[in-house]
Amino acid sequence: MIKNKELLIGIKDALPIVLGYLPLGFAFGVLANQVGMTVVQAGLMSLMCFTGAGQYIAIGVMQAGGAIFTIIMANLLVNLRYLLFATSMVPHLKNVPTGWATLLSYGLTDETYAVAMTRYQNHKATTAYMAGLNITSHIGWISSSLGGALLGTFISNTDKIGLNFALPAMYICLLVFVVGKRSDALVAGISATFCLLFGYIFPSTMANMSNIIIATIIAATLGVLIDERY
Amino acid sequence: MSDTSIFLMIFGVSVVSLLPRMLPVAVLSRWEFPQLLQKWLSFVAPAVLGGLAVLSILAPQGYIHISPGNLYIWACIPTFLVAIKTRSLFYTLLVGIITMALLYNFAGI
Repeated sequence: MIKNKELLIGIKDALPIVLGYLPLGFAFGVLANQVGMTVVQAGLMSLMCFTGAGQYIAIGVMQAGGAIFTIIMANLLVNLRYLLFATSMVPHLKNVPTGWATLLSYGLTDETYAVAMTRYQNHKATTAYMAGLNITSHIGWISSSLGGALLGTFISNTDKIGLNFALPAMYICLLVFVVGKRSDALVAGISATFCLLFGYIFPSTMANMSNIIIATIIAATLGVLIDERY
Repeated sequence: MSDTSIFLMIFGVSVVSLLPRMLPVAVLSRWEFPQLLQKWLSFVAPAVLGGLAVLSILAPQGYIHISPGNLYIWACIPTFLVAIKTRSLFYTLLVGIITMALLYNFAGI
């Protein structure tokens, strides 16, 4: 069955993501535990929110004794970039029924987005692939959070085994994959430069990741202009 | 925070983190995007990854840290080469993680 094959490919494509989530989810579990969340609450948050940066912000604000409102507003900002991600994915989802596509977009993250967009360059999107990729990644996120919340006191340092480099390595590799033509490389470079520039001038944009949104908008616009010329 | 506050917080964060992902897919899927917008959107992935990659290496702790003491910069060199050479996510991750583990344990910076 083609469906099963697509599901399996999705699961397989999610495995490197799960590897990258392992230390991040684990660390979230440990920190959540330290600010007084129970194992169930930490797991529930990873199940219902699935936002690495956002969950870390929540912990930080809780630790500082901040308000729920602050946490939610900061999360709104952090997650705004997904408006852009989701919209740019829509043209690829023609073959996926809208209901399924919407439901499975629950699992849209920086990582699943990058992996999926790489695949959609040469393959049609299917419901089964989306399910395999997004749900496996989400399960990885939830279980590593639970693991951290449960075992946090025993294991302290995942840096020793290099796992902290899993996500950067993945971003590097996916960047190589999505750069097809010269204008893509230019856009990536322009975006990276603006990201750093905004992060340097306004350090607060680093924490809520709004520098990525601004840099992306500028770089994509310049990309269109560059592409028209050549 | 009390248990009730924590549940309220989780619910609130859930709403604001899921809506931006699901809403565009639900609302825009029947809409035919104009050519120019499609082109613009096609640059979003390279732009986002360019930003994420550079920040994850030059600002691994959330603040910009460009110095020889930043192990991420060293680890990214073999990782990048393997990514270009093999075009395999698996080997790229493997080399990246092993390089980082070696640097962390033996570089002594």
